[in-house]
Amino acid sequence: MMLCNDVLLLMLVPKDRIASITYLAHDAVEALLPGADTGVAVNHGTAEEILLQKPDLILAGTDSAPMARKLAKAVGARVVEVEAANSFADIRRIVRQVGEAVGEPGRAHALLTEMDGKLAWLASHQPARPLRVVAWSGSQAVPGRGTLTNEIIAASGADNIAARLPDSRYGSFGLEALLAAWPDAILQGETRWSGPSLQDAQSLHPLIERYWHGRRIDYPDAAYACGLPQSADAAIALRNLYRELPAGRPRW
Amino acid sequence: MVRLPQAPLPLMLALLLAAAGASLVIGKVWLPPVVLFDGLAAPKPNLAWLIVTELRIPRTVLALMVGATLGLGGAVLQGLLRNPLAEPGLLGVSGGAALGAVVAIYFGLATRFALATPLLGIAGALAAGALTFLFGRSGTLTLILAGSAVSGLAAAGLALALNFAPSPYAAYEITTWLLGSVAEREWSQIALCTPFILAGWLCLAATPRGLDALTLGEAQAESLGVNLNMLRALALAGVALSVGAATAMAGAIGFVGLVAPHLVRPFVGYRPSRILLPSAVFGALLLLVTDIAIRVIPTSSELKLGVLTSLIGTPFFFWLVLRLRRLSP
Repeated sequence: MMLCNDVLLLMLVPKDRIASITYLAHDAVEALLPGADTGVAVNHGTAEEILLQKPDLILAGTDSAPMARKLAKAVGARVVEVEAANSFADIRRIVRQVGEAVGEPGRAHALLTEMDGKLAWLASHQPARPLRVVAWSGSQAVPGRGTLTNEIIAASGADNIAARLPDSRYGSFGLEALLAAWPDAILQGETRWSGPSLQDAQSLHPLIERYWHGRRIDYPDAAYACGLPQSADAAIALRNLYRELPAGRPRW
Repeated sequence: MVRLPQAPLPLMLALLLAAAGASLVIGKVWLPPVVLFDGLAAPKPNLAWLIVTELRIPRTVLALMVGATLGLGGAVLQGLLRNPLAEPGLLGVSGGAALGAVVAIYFGLATRFALATPLLGIAGALAAGALTFLFGRSGTLTLILAGSAVSGLAAAGLALALNFAPSPYAAYEITTWLLGSVAEREWSQIALCTPFILAGWLCLAATPRGLDALTLGEAQAESLGVNLNMLRALALAGVALSVGAATAMAGAIGFVGLVAPHLVRPFVGYRPSRILLPSAVFGALLLLVTDIAIRVIPTSSELKLGVLTSLIGTPFFFWLVLRLRRLSP
């Protein structure tokens, strides 16, 4: 009932061992493991489905855990509560936890070894001058310290200018602050959610268009929303995208 | 009737000027006035110049326009309906406008056709105002009841829009947008809505004579040659045009229209025609000062303008209700 858990589950066990995954997971799976969920049953987090599908184990997010425990009693399933991962340390912890829970500790260990290898490579190939960037798609809810996005940016060898916000995970980071900080690049989350939004209607503020033209990096939201071994790939992808930026600092 | 000392209008204009000056200097990023002045003189573009001309001036202009619109709209509605509780927000006009704008933005009309947001905002305001007028004609109480019914209808419509939001992300955006803000709007957006706001102000500027006559009662006003239907139509069109366009720009901002006329009345007298301009000026001042306060109050997520006006306005509303209760038998 927590889409990030389901992506992890698809990586750890063969499909025939999965009773169902949440209907919310499809977009994230398409972004991270295309095609991995074909043929896997979906649930909508309802009691009826759990009773029908009779799983042996329910992976629950922190919010859905109390409900999952109640349902689990009815079908005799075990509940494992998996916290959301906001750092690479969290990722190591939850991958091990879920790996143990589903009886695939070896597979979990292999995924983590691969992730740590990538992180070590990134750390040993730091750019000479760290770029100053921000994940900004409007001044609301900009990821600061304590967010997975911040960790991915740090691993990619850049400085998240919003990490200097007072200690809060997501906060307002207005255009004034953005202009004053004058980042080298602006990372913009691409949601896979289609449909109109205020951002489409107002497009981007003309100042961003004018001064950060060619310095905007689109990144897939899904890779940043879920703390998974793939988060290291997201950091590598960012590092590669930095190379395509124009040289020097953005000019007035 | 006791006349209080007059001449607050020049004083208010002076305060307005001071607040506008402060609004250019104060922001989330603190730049000392010296740096700002240097920036305006230095080769452009530079940081100070960009922040002032592209962010702080539009924000100030918008706060002034929206505040004046709400102050003026409240004063006209209170005069027309002879009801101290009349105000665009309480009569459902702001809610209708917000619903229209949300439909325009989130169902893709605004991307295809930029004018859709102000136009649908105005249409929503007009429909909501007309409904309230239609059902609430017979007295103070029924008008307020009709206003809350129409507000309820608009709220239901907004809830429906949230329910059918194209994505969870859009739902989050709608809720934040509804809290009201004048920050980070572009010049082009302001230019789009200004003609409608000015047209609304023109309609409202034609109402004072009729509103004065109306204080004597409807029959007396008609015998004085006031065309009541024309007066109502002008007031409704004016409020719908200006509040509709202002809401499409800034989201729903409540209570300014209620507070402004009441606060200026003791100083300028009780004739509706004398209240309109001071109320508009005071509304602009109130909203601008509130918007400056938002920038100064240190919060990690920016406090939204509509939230603060509601927090300030609600106690005032309670006070009004208490006073009405004391005055009525």
